[in-house]
Amino acid sequence: MLELTEVDGVPTLVAPSSGQAAAGLIFRVGQADETLPLHGVTHLVEHLALHDSGLSDYHYNGETTSVYTHFHLRGSESDVVGYLGKVCAGLADLPMHRLEIEKEILRTESRSRGGTTTLPLRRYGARGYGLPSYPEWGLARLRPEDLREWVETYFTRDNAVLWIAGSGVPAGLRLPLRPGVRRPAPAPTSALPATPAWFAGDDTSVVFSAVVRRSTAASVYSGVLERELFRDLRQEGGYSYTATATYEPRGDGFATVTAYADALPEKQGAALGGFVDVLARLRHGAIDPSGVAAVRTKSLEKLNHPEIEAARLPAHALSLLTGQRNLTVDELRAELSAVTVEQVHAVAAEAVAAGLLQTPHRTTADWAGFAAAPTSSAHEADGNRHPHREDGEVELVIGPDATSIVRPGSCATVRYDACAAMLTWPDGARRLIGDDGIVLHLEPAMWTASPVELAVLDAVVEPSRHLPMPPRDPAAIPRPGAGRAAAARAGAGGRDNPGEIIAIVLLLLVAVALGVFGVLQAVIAATTGGRPLDLSLLGGAAVGAALFATPVVLLLRRRR
Amino acid sequence: MTIIGLPAPSPAAHAVAFPEVEDARAWCREGDWNALSAMFARLRTVDDVYFMARIVGDLPEADAFLSDVASAQPSAPLPKVLLAARAIGLAWQARTGARAQHVSRSQLDQMHEHLRRGEQLLIEVTARDPADGAAWALRITNARGLELGQAEARRRYDRLAKHHPHMHGAQAQLLQQLCPKWSGSWESAFAFARACAADAPEGGLNAALIAQAHIEYWRELDGSERSAYFRRPDVGQELATAAARSVLHPSYRPVYGWVTAHHHFAAAFSLAGDHRRARAHFDALGDLTDRFPWAYLGDPTAQFAEHRALAAGKG
Repeated sequence: MLELTEVDGVPTLVAPSSGQAAAGLIFRVGQADETLPLHGVTHLVEHLALHDSGLSDYHYNGETTSVYTHFHLRGSESDVVGYLGKVCAGLADLPMHRLEIEKEILRTESRSRGGTTTLPLRRYGARGYGLPSYPEWGLARLRPEDLREWVETYFTRDNAVLWIAGSGVPAGLRLPLRPGVRRPAPAPTSALPATPAWFAGDDTSVVFSAVVRRSTAASVYSGVLERELFRDLRQEGGYSYTATATYEPRGDGFATVTAYADALPEKQGAALGGFVDVLARLRHGAIDPSGVAAVRTKSLEKLNHPEIEAARLPAHALSLLTGQRNLTVDELRAELSAVTVEQVHAVAAEAVAAGLLQTPHRTTADWAGFAAAPTSSAHEADGNRHPHREDGEVELVIGPDATSIVRPGSCATVRYDACAAMLTWPDGARRLIGDDGIVLHLEPAMWTASPVELAVLDAVVEPSRHLPMPPRDPAAIPRPGAGRAAAARAGAGGRDNPGEIIAIVLLLLVAVALGVFGVLQAVIAATTGGRPLDLSLLGGAAVGAALFATPVVLLLRRRR
Repeated sequence: MTIIGLPAPSPAAHAVAFPEVEDARAWCREGDWNALSAMFARLRTVDDVYFMARIVGDLPEADAFLSDVASAQPSAPLPKVLLAARAIGLAWQARTGARAQHVSRSQLDQMHEHLRRGEQLLIEVTARDPADGAAWALRITNARGLELGQAEARRRYDRLAKHHPHMHGAQAQLLQQLCPKWSGSWESAFAFARACAADAPEGGLNAALIAQAHIEYWRELDGSERSAYFRRPDVGQELATAAARSVLHPSYRPVYGWVTAHHHFAAAFSLAGDHRRARAHFDALGDLTDRFPWAYLGDPTAQFAEHRALAAGKG
């Protein structure tokens, strides 16, 4: 049976398991605890702590999420002792000589992982739970002392829970962690003035996310939603291939339900319409009781796993760590069996009311009663106005409290006291990102503002919010008229083509040689007298010289 | 341009053809929900409900009255359906009858605002009752006005057709969407009209969709092609078959919508110069004039009168 004990001050859950042992050490820290300029610090710590775990026979891994960081493995008891010991040793003394290499590995990992969803940033902004939408920009500025401070704050024995599936706590297991305090899950921020809200994504899929109170009924709602989406969009409509829904507790008494459906490009309108109708059906209580029963049965069947306590250890450990109520298997079974259509209906109404819908690109959901998620700001900065060099209708306003880019009918404003980060490039470009996710990208060459006026930003945005970016390819830096110049260059077939220059020189040399040869022949004939002029030779030289000179003239003319 | 696909024919024509139209108007004016809802309860088909909903949708008298009924009966579908039909009437009034390029931004915004209001009511109605044919048919019109695209309009029709496979009023709405003017194609428009005609029971109005499709196509032609179109033997033959299958079939009964169906056949045969065939339709219509499709030919009243006279001469 399940046992709660302690290893070196770390609360430890143990459940019996046959076969190989498994264990996991979970810390209550994740991306949601970071700030944008530090984004990536938890992941970097996880990688550095694992670095010394080496290549071994047992299966181990680390995982960084929004609210927790998990080091886990499957192996023998001595593997558990060895692995967790090395993780703790790694945390106590991060291998800083690996810092740059691990940063590079993380950058590669993010590239191979591909695009991140923008739903978190749309809901939460550029803070807390919104950060998983952003690149790990903190990697550029994280120093060893930042990492050590992060470890001391979060990777402590008072902010961790250990779980072990096996015959008990392995002999010799030590968790040498520093003391600290338990860190509650961060409070959520919001970038949505009204819900349900929508925004257009950049592909053909439809994604819906909702934050609801954590409950067994909510997890059943997620299952029912998936069934209905799959039936309407895939089986009956044929608009989508994939239609899924997930339920994930957030660690603060709430859970996120996320539903997704892809679509063929020509069917995206129908996928969106069908999706909206499924949400509406559940929200208005048109819920098929047999669907609820099927989801309930499927969930109950999962609980029949012979080692269910062991299988639920990670989730149980997380509940313990975040101070959330954890249901025993029997309690969960009882709750699942008792979930009614009415309860699912209530969750559906809660979900839509708090919903955020990502529609396929170039579509909207205002027609379905969703409010547009903000893409502009309500207020304009007060300050000096600088017109854009290519578009007189666009102005940059740099004020003492905020900066705006103002277009006819809309503006984007970032207040310096609500600036999540400012990306800085060596060539002078700046990108301000507001706490609400609003972005101002400033290319110095494109504005009539002087460099001095732009430099004000470096002084007014707190230095801890600056994010240095690597130098850019000079050709990629926008400048006025660059579009026209590039077109002209393409038309000229490459002004700086070295092959062309070599060809011109060679052709010119041959032409000159032939010309000189012809002239010499004539001069010799004239000075020696008597001897008849070899006309054919002279003519050949002249024609040859002309032949080789012509392309030179053409090439040179084209290059002007 | 046909504004709402097949628009509700002019109220005058309906008042003559169907006396209950005048009753509905009076009940709306008097705010007599009991009488109005009792009339709807007596209607036998979804096409009938849809037809009467569109009639109410053109009545300004309905505005205040319907909102009050809807708030008093939050779970009743009919007040929502009628409010949504009224929203469509207001939307196209805001848009005016102009072709797309002459509609101003603010007219379009107003139109969309009306349609969104109605659409949200209908989302709820169809969520609670996926078999509400009138609500789905109105949503097909909404999909067009809100520019939700071909796939979504088709999905709405497919949801409806699951329960009502031969709902003529809804088919006429989708046919509009399938035409190139609403980013469809002639192939899909004709294929849909022919499939609806072939699948429907004989004597129904469905085959009139074929006349409607040909008139829409003819309207986009120019010059000699246009004047020759209805004289093509294949076109004439298809129209004659369609008429025989629908409004000229022995099992045909003059259900709501028959006026529009006869007008389309009358116009198509008139354009073909087949005044003998046109006559049967003019005779059925008597003095029931209609704006469409005659407005496509010129002044609707004059065109109707002129072609009816020609047909009478050939009797």
